[in-house]
Amino acid sequence: MLISDIQTVLPEIFLAVVGMGLLIYGVFIGDKSMRQVSWLTVFALITAAAMLYVFGSTGEPEIAMNGLFISDAFAHYAKLFILLGAALAVVMSVDFMEREQIIRFEFPILILYASLGMMMMVSANDLMSLYIALELQSLPLYVVASIRRDSLRSTEAGLKYFVLGALSSGMLLYGCSMIYGFTGSTNFDAIAAAVAAGGVSTGLVIGIVFLMAGLAFKVSAAPFHMWTPDVYEGAPTPVTALFAVAPKIAAIALFSRVMISPFGEAIEAWQQVVILISILSMALGSIAAIAQTNIKRLMAYSSIGHMGFALVGLAAGTETGIRGVMIYMAIYLFMNVGTFAIILSMRQQGRMVEGINDLAGLSKTSPGMALALTIFMFSMAGIPPLAGFFSKLYVFSAAIEAGLVTLAILGVIASVIGAFYYLRIIKVMYFDAPVEPIDDDMPRETKAIMAVTAFVTLFFFIWPSPIVDGAAQAASVLFGG
Amino acid sequence: MLLAGVLAPFVLAVFAPTVKRVAGPATGWLLALLPAALTVYFAQFIGTVSSGGTITFSTPWVSDLSIHLSFYVDGLSLLFALLISGIGTFIVLYAATYLAKHADLGRFLMFILMFMGSMLGLVLADNVVTLFVFWELTSITSFLLIGFNHASPRSRRAALQALVVTGGGGLALLAGLLLMAQAGGSMELSTLLQSGDLLRDHPHYLAILILVLMGAFTKSAQAPFHFWLPNAMEAPTPVSAYLHSATMVKAGVYLLARVNPGLGGTEIWQTVLVAFGAVTFLIGAVLAIRNTDLKLMLAQTTVASLGLLVFLIGLGEEVALEAAMAYLFAHSLFKGALFMAAGSVDHGTGTREITRLSGLGKAMPITFAAAALAAVSMSGLPPFIGFIAKEWVYKATMGDFWPLAITGVAILGNALMFAVALLVGFKPFLGRQSETPKHPHEGGPGLWLGPVTLAALGLLAGLFNGLSGGLLVGPAVWAVAGEQVSVDLYLWGGFKTPLFLSLATIALGIVLLWRSRAISSTLAATFDRMWGPDRGYDQFLDLLIGTARTVTARLQTGTLRHYLLVTMLIVAAVLLLPVAQMGDLDITFRIPATDFYIFGIAALALAGGFSIAVFRSRLIAILSMGVLGVAVALVFLLFSAPDLAFTQLMVETLSVVILALVIARLPIYRSDWRGWPRAVRDSIIAGAVGVGFTLLLLSITSRTLDLALSEYFAARSYTEAYGRNIVNVILVDFRALDTFGEIAVVVIAGVAVLSLLAMGGRSLAGAGRAPDSAPDSAPDSAVTGKETS
Repeated sequence: MLISDIQTVLPEIFLAVVGMGLLIYGVFIGDKSMRQVSWLTVFALITAAAMLYVFGSTGEPEIAMNGLFISDAFAHYAKLFILLGAALAVVMSVDFMEREQIIRFEFPILILYASLGMMMMVSANDLMSLYIALELQSLPLYVVASIRRDSLRSTEAGLKYFVLGALSSGMLLYGCSMIYGFTGSTNFDAIAAAVAAGGVSTGLVIGIVFLMAGLAFKVSAAPFHMWTPDVYEGAPTPVTALFAVAPKIAAIALFSRVMISPFGEAIEAWQQVVILISILSMALGSIAAIAQTNIKRLMAYSSIGHMGFALVGLAAGTETGIRGVMIYMAIYLFMNVGTFAIILSMRQQGRMVEGINDLAGLSKTSPGMALALTIFMFSMAGIPPLAGFFSKLYVFSAAIEAGLVTLAILGVIASVIGAFYYLRIIKVMYFDAPVEPIDDDMPRETKAIMAVTAFVTLFFFIWPSPIVDGAAQAASVLFGG
Repeated sequence: MLLAGVLAPFVLAVFAPTVKRVAGPATGWLLALLPAALTVYFAQFIGTVSSGGTITFSTPWVSDLSIHLSFYVDGLSLLFALLISGIGTFIVLYAATYLAKHADLGRFLMFILMFMGSMLGLVLADNVVTLFVFWELTSITSFLLIGFNHASPRSRRAALQALVVTGGGGLALLAGLLLMAQAGGSMELSTLLQSGDLLRDHPHYLAILILVLMGAFTKSAQAPFHFWLPNAMEAPTPVSAYLHSATMVKAGVYLLARVNPGLGGTEIWQTVLVAFGAVTFLIGAVLAIRNTDLKLMLAQTTVASLGLLVFLIGLGEEVALEAAMAYLFAHSLFKGALFMAAGSVDHGTGTREITRLSGLGKAMPITFAAAALAAVSMSGLPPFIGFIAKEWVYKATMGDFWPLAITGVAILGNALMFAVALLVGFKPFLGRQSETPKHPHEGGPGLWLGPVTLAALGLLAGLFNGLSGGLLVGPAVWAVAGEQVSVDLYLWGGFKTPLFLSLATIALGIVLLWRSRAISSTLAATFDRMWGPDRGYDQFLDLLIGTARTVTARLQTGTLRHYLLVTMLIVAAVLLLPVAQMGDLDITFRIPATDFYIFGIAALALAGGFSIAVFRSRLIAILSMGVLGVAVALVFLLFSAPDLAFTQLMVETLSVVILALVIARLPIYRSDWRGWPRAVRDSIIAGAVGVGFTLLLLSITSRTLDLALSEYFAARSYTEAYGRNIVNVILVDFRALDTFGEIAVVVIAGVAVLSLLAMGGRSLAGAGRAPDSAPDSAPDSAVTGKETS
């Protein structure tokens, strides 16, 4: 390990050390330190994001740790949004967890370590580091899913997530060993060279598909989505907010890197599979969402659908496709964090409610909240000129450019069906008579998050270049540009 | 500048509620200044456009996708822009009076202005994405306006229905536009439409056409999507007059006219447009006479008119396009006027039921005048522009190319329209004055100024047909036809076929008018029980929700076992499908040794596997797993990997013991016993996975083994680590850190188990966690074994 290696990995090292420090601090002070630890975690996550730019940004990809770790524009882009998503989830959790009496100082620390795992995921340049990073991400998430230990739903969610997660990790690992067996290396660059030289054998295809199955699980794409609705519903809402955003960005970024970097030459081996996963996810996400009455379950299906749309870009396998995926995920973050800020505040006389019908008449009782949720729902439905429209536009036009016309059209059909349930929420808020008003006591931080994300979603179209240019830069690195 | 014109209504919209608060009764007059100014602004382009010029404006927006905020004024967009801003002026005035007492008037005017901006953007847009953005914005504002009276469930349903239908169609349109841009190599319509042959010969032409038509037909309420428009009449009347007759619903027609030079002219284009247009025309006209509510009658005639327009664009000949543009112009004027007049009647009397209205002429003379003028134009009598439009329709249907049936459709449809027009325009005002919920009275100037002006314009446009033809209709036809053709509108065409057809229409129309009561009730009796697309929409939604329920109930049972089952099925598919597809796995199979105990071990393993598959209790399954594991351990032992065998044996024993302990503590339910069907199903899936893995393993072992690592360790074990037992050296030296970590894990797990035991039987969750630490060490040992063999 060289000094320059340390510099490349510094944000990650920083997070790991801070995490340990906070853990010790928490143990000494006890659970009453949760608020402090949470804010320190937020601070650490933001500092890590700042460090990415101070130390990492020479522009050139840097490979560290004997080729295990890569730091490039792609990783930076994804890490920035991962850290943002995680930090926002922690901010929103503070007040919620106190109200719900889930006071455990480990909670923010677990999120910190999961974020560390996610950062490592997007920087993985080797099957080994890929797996370690994935597990580092997953283990804390299994725990936070069941952090409310006295709730049957929460523990059940955690258990399901763990069992299915372990199974998918097994599949992923199996795929890795197959790939190693058929290419002779675990390093992405070496695998790419082997694929370019030796072509694609049936065994390698099976290996790649197993690897993809494991990744699809983390992305919660169909047919590996089954844990998602149960976990989203069962886990405490701030955890769901986290699940919906940061790990998804990390997993999609990892998915993209793995498909493009080592297996870019073997596109015909995986393109069909990505197309299949994407179609299944879009269809299932859109159709199943219609039947939901619980808004967290609805968001679960919505996220499954969104992953399907994002994968349309990956299916294209081109630079514009990956750019589309990256834009999609960034916009997805804002829409989802904002929506969860609202879901977190859905209380009637202090009691949490999760039913879609509980939103009835929201436009009367809390017009600001209703307006924000309207923006998010229209955006998720892909209705212009909101941000969600552009994210779909980017992936669909990449797919059309790559000749995947049928996929693009199926995507449009899915978004038409999907639009229905988003619009239904708007109808409920604006046109239905309120049964019992939602409490109007949103914490300041949550309100701020809601306002800012709504602002970004609404006005993305005026100044899209920060996200679009960043995504373009990120995508071009994967294609050696 | 064009951009400013499009954005100005949006800016004003934001301030509309404030203006309302400050200005009070003068709100309408103040806000109407903007659309009036816009009308003047667009009118100054008439000179350039009517001499064949165009005005363009473009500024980059999302440049990397070649999306620009680009606008384009030619005859077609200018005609629309003038209608939108001109009629918009009167609508703002009208609405401010009509809803003067409504608490949310400010919000209403905000939506109306936003709609105006969106609609202007739509018709002026040159870039396909910009067009689409404004297209969807019109759907959204329409949704908000239809649902404006949200206390009524009918209006909520109508709002959502309109949004689902037009918004959904809009998304299809997006796909179509993007495909078209891809095929034609440009995002700008003005460029794209010049490469018509490129588009028409493109392999995706059919897909483009279907998608674009989906967008246009849903928006313009063509059958079978015509149901949303009459339902949208739940909106306040200014909305019906503006969005759902004069402007928004014509967006689909606008789009078809716009893309005509690029996509039009093919056989399929003509067939589809003519067929759908004609059917819509007839359905609308028939349903119009069936209804008795003034607004619904007008809405149905709007459907009919939209059908007629689509039909004319489909015919595609020059004269048909002239007819289409003339009719479009005429329709916006008379329909806008009639709707506003109907609204005034409603406002003045409290009812819109035509059977209850008569003799209002005395109390509401101005409204009567406007309604009468507009109705005459609509019925197609000279000297109104409506007459010219109808003459042209007949001219268009008489080309040698089109069979007589089409002329028949036109006569029947027009006769029905004639009857409805006179019913709506005269019936409420003539005869003996009827009892109405409110005492009939004329509204303020805000209410009558619009209808009177529009109706008068219909007359003027007919009289000064040279001007309306040369300045407005002609340039629009050029844009649609894609070339400059000479357009000459006239009232008197001599004693030729169109005139005779007009006379026949009037005769038939009078008969229909005379028998209208009877026809209406007969039709009502027939149609009301029939299945219609409106009910179809509900059924479709029910179907969708039903499917959604089924899908979630089947897939999302909440049972972990089912999730695992599905996952395993997919594993089987992943293993077997590539083999089936690519075939070759390069398997060279040989039985490694023929000693009898090999078969013994194999038999043991099979017995274990078999009993897992067939026995129905979990405990036996766990024990059988143990048997299977022992067999595997024996294989390791035989092939000189004693350390592996030992680990395997330990793990198996521990797993069985711990699992048995856990199960012994858990209550056993009936559901823990499998029935035979489930056992068989599980066995089949397990078998498929097993076969897949076996094939894969055989394929791997058939490859020549890469001995590089083994050789490396063999060479370095003694020279670098001074050990003769390679396995030991690897464990304690080459990967000492890993071993250290493993030991640490085992110790921590031990401590955890110890503390759990110390806590006693209180925590069952802890007992379940213990076995996880054991299998964790298994993969590591497996790696060790591979490296040494």
